Amino acid sequence: MAKVFNWQLGREMDYPYEGTRPRRQFAMVFDTNKCIACQTCTVACKTTWTPGRGQEYMYWNNVETKPYGYYPLGWDVNILEKLGVQDQSKPVYAGKTLFEAAPPGEPVLGYLPDDADYANPNVGEDDSTGLMPQGAYLTMPHMQWMFYLARICNHCTYAACLGSCPRQVIYKRPEDGIVLIDQTRCRGYRECVKGCPYKKVYFNPITRVSEKCIGCYPAVEGGRQSQCTVTCIGKIRLNGFITTPDRADEHNPMDYLVHVAKVALPLYPQFGLEPNVYYIPPIHVPPPYLIQMFGHGVPQAIETYKRARDDKRLLGALMLFGSTPEILHRFRVIGDHAIGYDEKGGEVVRVPLTEPFQIRAFFDEARKVYRHNVT
Amino acid sequence: MNAPTVPLSRRRFLQMASLAGLGTVLAPSELLAQYRFLDPVRVDNPLAQYPNRDWERMYRDIFRHDRTFSFLCAPNDTHNCLLKAFVKNNVLVRIEPTFGYGKATDLDGNRASHRWDPRCCQKGLVLGRRQYGDRRIKGAYVRKGFKEWVEGGFPRDPQTGRAPAEYMRRGWDSYVKVPWEEAYALHAKALVNVAQTYSGEPGQKFLLAQGYDPVMVERAEGAGTRTLKVRGGMPFLGALRLCGLYRFGNMLALLDAKVRGVSAEGAKGGIGWDNYSWHTDTPPGHPMVCGEQTNEFDLFATEYARLIIPWGMNWISTKMPDSHWLTEARMKGAHVVVVTVEYSSTANKGDEVIVIRPGTDPAFALGLAQVIIKERLYDEAFVKQFTDLPVLIRMDTLAPLKASEVFPGYADAELKNFTKVVKPGEAIPPVPLQDAQLIPAALRGEWGDAVVWDAKTRKPVALPRDDVGEWLGKRGVDPVLTGTFEVTTTDGKKVQVRTVFDLTRELLDKSYDPDTVSKITWAPKEAIVGLARQIAANREKTLIAVGMGPNQFFNQSLKDRAIFLVLALTRNLGFPGGNIGSYAGNYRLSMFNGMPQYFNEDPFNPQLDSQGPVKTRLYRTFESLHFLNYGDRVLREGTKLFTGKTHIPTPTKAMWLANTNSAVGNIKWHYDFVFNTLARVECLAVNDWWWTGSCEYADIVYGVDSWMEFKVPDMTASCTNPFLTVFPRTPLRRSFDTRADVETLLGVSQKLAELTGDKRFVDYWKFVTEEHVEVYLQRILDASQPTRGYRFEELEVKARDGIPALMMMRTYPRTGSWEQIHESRPWYTKTGRLEFYRGEPEFLEAGENLVVYREPSDSTFYEPNVIVARPHPALRPKSPEEYGFSRSKLDYNARQGRHVIVAPADLLKTRHPLWGQGFRYVFHTPKYRHGSHTTPVDTDILANFFGPFGDVYRRDKRSPHVGEMYVDLNPEDGKALGVQDGDYVWIDGDPETNPFRGAGREGREAELHVSRLLCRARYYPGTPRGIMRMWFNGYQASPGSVKGHETRADSLAKNPETNYQAMFRYGGHQSATRAWLNPTLMTDSLVRRNLFGQTMGKGYHVDVHSAVGAPREAFVKVAKAEDGGIGGKGLWRPVQLGLRPANESAAMKRYLTGGFVLIRKA
Repeated sequence: MAKVFNWQLGREMDYPYEGTRPRRQFAMVFDTNKCIACQTCTVACKTTWTPGRGQEYMYWNNVETKPYGYYPLGWDVNILEKLGVQDQSKPVYAGKTLFEAAPPGEPVLGYLPDDADYANPNVGEDDSTGLMPQGAYLTMPHMQWMFYLARICNHCTYAACLGSCPRQVIYKRPEDGIVLIDQTRCRGYRECVKGCPYKKVYFNPITRVSEKCIGCYPAVEGGRQSQCTVTCIGKIRLNGFITTPDRADEHNPMDYLVHVAKVALPLYPQFGLEPNVYYIPPIHVPPPYLIQMFGHGVPQAIETYKRARDDKRLLGALMLFGSTPEILHRFRVIGDHAIGYDEKGGEVVRVPLTEPFQIRAFFDEARKVYRHNVT
Repeated sequence: MNAPTVPLSRRRFLQMASLAGLGTVLAPSELLAQYRFLDPVRVDNPLAQYPNRDWERMYRDIFRHDRTFSFLCAPNDTHNCLLKAFVKNNVLVRIEPTFGYGKATDLDGNRASHRWDPRCCQKGLVLGRRQYGDRRIKGAYVRKGFKEWVEGGFPRDPQTGRAPAEYMRRGWDSYVKVPWEEAYALHAKALVNVAQTYSGEPGQKFLLAQGYDPVMVERAEGAGTRTLKVRGGMPFLGALRLCGLYRFGNMLALLDAKVRGVSAEGAKGGIGWDNYSWHTDTPPGHPMVCGEQTNEFDLFATEYARLIIPWGMNWISTKMPDSHWLTEARMKGAHVVVVTVEYSSTANKGDEVIVIRPGTDPAFALGLAQVIIKERLYDEAFVKQFTDLPVLIRMDTLAPLKASEVFPGYADAELKNFTKVVKPGEAIPPVPLQDAQLIPAALRGEWGDAVVWDAKTRKPVALPRDDVGEWLGKRGVDPVLTGTFEVTTTDGKKVQVRTVFDLTRELLDKSYDPDTVSKITWAPKEAIVGLARQIAANREKTLIAVGMGPNQFFNQSLKDRAIFLVLALTRNLGFPGGNIGSYAGNYRLSMFNGMPQYFNEDPFNPQLDSQGPVKTRLYRTFESLHFLNYGDRVLREGTKLFTGKTHIPTPTKAMWLANTNSAVGNIKWHYDFVFNTLARVECLAVNDWWWTGSCEYADIVYGVDSWMEFKVPDMTASCTNPFLTVFPRTPLRRSFDTRADVETLLGVSQKLAELTGDKRFVDYWKFVTEEHVEVYLQRILDASQPTRGYRFEELEVKARDGIPALMMMRTYPRTGSWEQIHESRPWYTKTGRLEFYRGEPEFLEAGENLVVYREPSDSTFYEPNVIVARPHPALRPKSPEEYGFSRSKLDYNARQGRHVIVAPADLLKTRHPLWGQGFRYVFHTPKYRHGSHTTPVDTDILANFFGPFGDVYRRDKRSPHVGEMYVDLNPEDGKALGVQDGDYVWIDGDPETNPFRGAGREGREAELHVSRLLCRARYYPGTPRGIMRMWFNGYQASPGSVKGHETRADSLAKNPETNYQAMFRYGGHQSATRAWLNPTLMTDSLVRRNLFGQTMGKGYHVDVHSAVGAPREAFVKVAKAEDGGIGGKGLWRPVQLGLRPANESAAMKRYLTGGFVLIRKA
């Protein structure tokens, strides 16, 4: 095991390979407060990449209702239980990662799901905690709650699938950090399926090799955001490139949201994979559960999000979600508009923070017609 | 690190492959896959470098496409998304949004922003799988029995004229695919025969002999064509193709002229059925308050609100592309309070969530109003300027006092404020030039002027209708809001009068204080008081978005009137950020208010010049489909006919439906309809592009083009967003032998022309024949206020690029009542004000003159449909005895016309009549995210995600499909019933009526077998005890689907012949629902705007004032049927593993509390 630095944990940790970072890193920010669990992302991904034989059960992207939703069944409960209770009370993680907790001779602590765990991909849909009494009255945070968690491969900096593969057919692309399984060399040992704590690698029983989310690299290579992002009607997603906190560029929307505003947090950072999908936590859910899921930064992220109304820059960054299919490399807020730019600095999109109210003339002289709201 | 390169390997593999005798049939990559174990590669650090990445081309190849095109996806979900289809090898392979909404402009150059993008959803993105799916209707199909009946010369019973039952075995019969021309001919012959059979005196005798209510027979006026009915499902969704059905109905006057030998003057066309009211989407109290079909706002008005209340509207699930307007408003500081009956998907976006008892919405709103008045939080100026609350009511008659009754010689004021009184025979301007409300002189005379009590002079003064808003101040009148006064009428009588405000306040204080309302609604008192104060504190900034949930209870109009009252009291109507809206179904056909140009064109004189003026003449009438749903009956009980004269339907003998599964497949009380009511119908034709539940019972099924392969363009717009959207012609070739909807209309018309010798049947569709339907579409655009100025050709060009246009409404966002508030114009009511008192006889009789609360008509633990109030001097409803029946008669039929008052404290001591028989559960059936309106879900990917029981490999062969419908029940209710999470249960409604009338009788076992509801039960912690929910969007069991899962090797609930795929093994969500007819929705006296333009009228008007139904009303019994484990053995696996609510393992319990990490103590 080599020693690598994981900024999400604030410390070094063990990893099977030397720590090398890609030239830039594919990343996503998901705003859970806007996710509506419509599964449009799931279907976009499914119809683009996995409509074939052996892929029927496979959802590279899925949305699950937390806390009772999981695909595959119980994935996070299971791995958390195996890892045991860990200390997440400080910015520098004091508990063990999955690499550090690995059984002797194995690269990472993991488990192989049962086939039947993939049976009910939307189990738990809309199930809340507790029991709703007759006449419930919920205020913030909700005492009974649920929220939606969209999930793709995290294209981790220290991917466990990559670290688990005995044949080294999984690699991280230097140009964008997307993690891929070489479909021609994989032999379907399923060590990656076992090693990935997020259970985002799937074995295809027809081709007998494993598959996973490819970060839509054919789109990303053309400067376009992933399929799940451009179809997201909740406008919860932003797809771009992130750097490490020490090199953060506040004009890059991903860096801004994650490193500057610190409003978006990684999923189960304690696992130690340095995942690159970042979540704005749901503001209506009691913090203990969220800290278990997104780390110690939860209370601050929630406070920041609640104050977005007073922070035009943050608001501007959030308003750019879903407003263009292009990848935004920089953004600015000028007056009451948020503007996104491409890699070369060209303006890609400009949106108002408030959609304007317009009044048309009662009589349209040119067209000889009266305009009414009641017709 | 020196791995061999792939070209080298490939050559080697190819050599080996040919040695192995595989030749070059296999692609190199497949060979690579076979021999990859020979490939020695070492990778030092896969984080840093990987030796050969040529294989990555594979996914680039998958992603590549040959071409793209745009099409419009427009199920009845109000969104209408232009989508971009990707084509490879001439096959549609995937679909994406167009990102064209941010490029939409209006005629003045205003532009929408890219915050509107993307627009699409999961249901649209799977359309590729529907385009090529095995439920596509691949041509024209005819039911065998029907074909025999037509070809046998229409044999009929000589006494009754009835078609023999053996020909009408719908659902159990099979189909033959026939050439299109043959299907048209059979259809046309049937229409002619039915029209002939039921015309004249012999026809009327037949109808009476068949048991139709005499008022219905009389209504048909001896014209057989009046029994021929059409419905284009939500016609707004297809100005040409769906409104075309109504045009066809108008054309049937030509048939009547032929059959009865009458002139154009005396000819009668067919009948068109309703849509908005049929779907129980309409908020019927809106016209009662403002005279308008629905007051609403485009959903992005949230940008201007500070308090947003989604009320019984599951915004997040049913308005998906517009959900971000809600979540973004919240991000920007708006406070969201969700009023709901469960912890819905919208609840998790709320800052506050109030869970009330289903159907108690009117009581909840009245509780808010009580607090607002009691605490004097109302806006007095607004109330005086814009509402009828200051208006005086006579306590002797309970009618509003008229100025002419107290001021001798009083002449009604001349109306000038955006109003024109139309004298008999006077021409009204064409719609685009209508700048004022148009009131028939007779109506104006009936209304007179209202009277208020002036605070300054302490005398009654007339309140002319014009005096709205600032006009009131200009006249110097200051009406009082409270007090009892005495006036002397012109005939010398002393009459006590009180203001509407005063009467309302007394009612609220006596019956709807927060304590009482809390008991009725379950909402805690602090929630009621707190919300009332917030609304009052957010004047002009409170938006209430009401959904179809509360619209679908029997007390729906009272809920509207009560919520309007809350908003009117707090200055929250007509403002961009302060308003009321109601959201369900894409109903706003009135945005194409020039539609009569097309669907009322005079068939005797069709305009054959594309540029010439069109002569319209209405031969078709409208009626509500609810009466057919009710068994082709009106509502009678005792000696009373509750259905108003203007609402009376005719008997239904032939039906033609297009793009609508709601009128058969997903009809309320479905099994009663298909097994009882439909037996009397003699011809049922259905147009669709997917074999729906309606097709399962049709006589003729026309397979039409999918949206992706439209060869004939069309257009629509939306009631929730500002876009005018065109269905462009697409380059995708037709996959099957399908036709455009309008081509089927033309096809049948051609056969009618042949049968009758009248070529006008064909002329009527001239521009369809000539493939220039733009002529019809342009006529509509030119004649409609919001679209005049647009050119169809230009709209279509833009649509091909995925760009819509903006509707030319007065404001963006469209804001209901904006003109009234900002320009002091009258509403479309008698007083010109928002009216909270209804003095018409029907309302007085029903005890609904004031806004009261009635219990749900079935979805209640208590006595159904009673008026819950303490005695009040203005509540004097007619008793059941006055109607000739006993008040103890509580059955389904009687209940609807039963006006009995029960005090709030006594209500909770009463019980639902079925309570003693094990009935304990309110069963409601809302809509959900995975289906849209009555377009149910059966596409594999969506079915797999529809709830928790999806399994694409169907490990449990009981599953009807790769997913299935289920009922949600509270876990404690489940435990009390002995039902575990995931078990199958039987659900039974009222045995007198459900699943169909006569279900218990001998000889009907097979029908009962199909229709008794069996489904999975899910423990759903978000629903309170006693409240069960089942989603509305699943295809229900049909005789064919039951045969499928009982006989097919794969056990799918799929009709072996038609491929119809049910999401239930037995029954469906409509097994426990029924049709309902509400007396106050069937009045002849309510004043309201007509559907199109500025003209006002009274009584029935299609989709405005009409029977509405109440599908959320059902009270059921539940019993365990089978265990949830695979094959019915043991527990459902997630339960067994401790991963389900109310059955958590130790690890799960720790997980739920965040116990797997130690965190800093706060």
